[in-house]
Amino acid sequence: MPAANIASPDLQQLLARVALGDRVAFRQLYDATAPSLFGVALRIVRQRDRAEEVLQDAFINAWNRAAGYQAALSQPMTWLTAIVRNRALDELRSGARHRTEFLEDREGGAAPDIEDERADPLGLLEQAADALAIRDCLDAIDGSQRQCLALVYYHGLSHSEVAGHIGSPIGSVKVWLRRGLDKLKRCLERMA
Amino acid sequence: MNYDRPELLDRLAAEYVFGTMSARVRRRFQAIQRALPAAQHAVQAWEQRLTPLARSVPPVQPSTAAWDAIDRRTGGRALRPVAPASTWLAWLKPVLGVAFGAVATLGLVRLYPTAVVPVDVIVQQRGTLPESYVGLLTDAANNPVVLASSTRHGRTLSIKMLRKVEVPAGKVLQLWALPVEGAAFPLGVVPSEGKGSFQMADTSEKLLFSVPRLAVSIEDAAARPGGTPAPFLLTGNCVKLW
Repeated sequence: MPAANIASPDLQQLLARVALGDRVAFRQLYDATAPSLFGVALRIVRQRDRAEEVLQDAFINAWNRAAGYQAALSQPMTWLTAIVRNRALDELRSGARHRTEFLEDREGGAAPDIEDERADPLGLLEQAADALAIRDCLDAIDGSQRQCLALVYYHGLSHSEVAGHIGSPIGSVKVWLRRGLDKLKRCLERMA
Repeated sequence: MNYDRPELLDRLAAEYVFGTMSARVRRRFQAIQRALPAAQHAVQAWEQRLTPLARSVPPVQPSTAAWDAIDRRTGGRALRPVAPASTWLAWLKPVLGVAFGAVATLGLVRLYPTAVVPVDVIVQQRGTLPESYVGLLTDAANNPVVLASSTRHGRTLSIKMLRKVEVPAGKVLQLWALPVEGAAFPLGVVPSEGKGSFQMADTSEKLLFSVPRLAVSIEDAAARPGGTPAPFLLTGNCVKLW
């Protein structure tokens, strides 16, 4: 997402103004970041109305917490994405009713509100690795581990859902994820 | 579990940020983060590492209603009379009527400690109701059941039961705050009918500032901080009345 990189000094300024209660800056921050953040939320919770709830809660949270944002600790987009992902994961994990809907979706019940490209989380992981110039490092990670990492990070699947999705025992999935995460950490740290 | 071990915190933070934790474990780890700066730092480090991966997700335009709701919920246009009729305003109208008495009555002593002025005088003078937090909880059939209100800087939460709730003998109706982030926390016990009030652990402003929702569950006894709620019987919005 190069646009966010180019715009990040502006985002910092906007956040500083939001911290002072500047509603115009809040709207500008929303316009600049909401589509990217909504994309992230929609992949995880799958349904537009739930993703919009997540987006709303996240921006209200950002409005309330902007004064506590520390530019030295994280980029604005990192800070906002973390708020959205946390809220989306809380929403996704928040109850049996939702989980049932989610599983029904996966089995071709109610249609998800997102196009088919969602079916390729591994593609997203590879694109991200290309953009971060860590593709070689990612490709060195075992294929099953990469697949698990992508399913969890982009779609928020739980251990058992990943196991069902790729047809492997949950024990293997847990091991793959743990090892994959260790390797991914090293890749990302090498980049940093 | 010994959370002083940095490698354990790092592992838990990775699972939290990555998303593999269940709802229960997520809530527990959120509580640990609030209590333990080292856990917070471990989470931030993982957020720094992993967020660049989200950049490859294609953007999707949210509906215009999403911004409108954010604007309203952060106080943008919420109480402007020119705002178009929305579900929120439709919801608010009956609340204002009922809230009026409860909010104003308990707000008076704190807002006007030297004299108890009749509410209509205040409204005439100020043109608005006192700054307060108001919650309206409904049942599964969307009937209003609990009205909760407290002045912005007060500690007393007033309760008006708009209809009777059947509570099994020996059980209590526990009111919970559901913050934007983190686990539900108990506010106090409400009566099954009529009116009541209780003292909260802190002022409304401190406790309810980031609480968009309230809920009531039936519990064996008054819940303690950190407790896990039983399934919610009633839920509703909590809004700032200013």
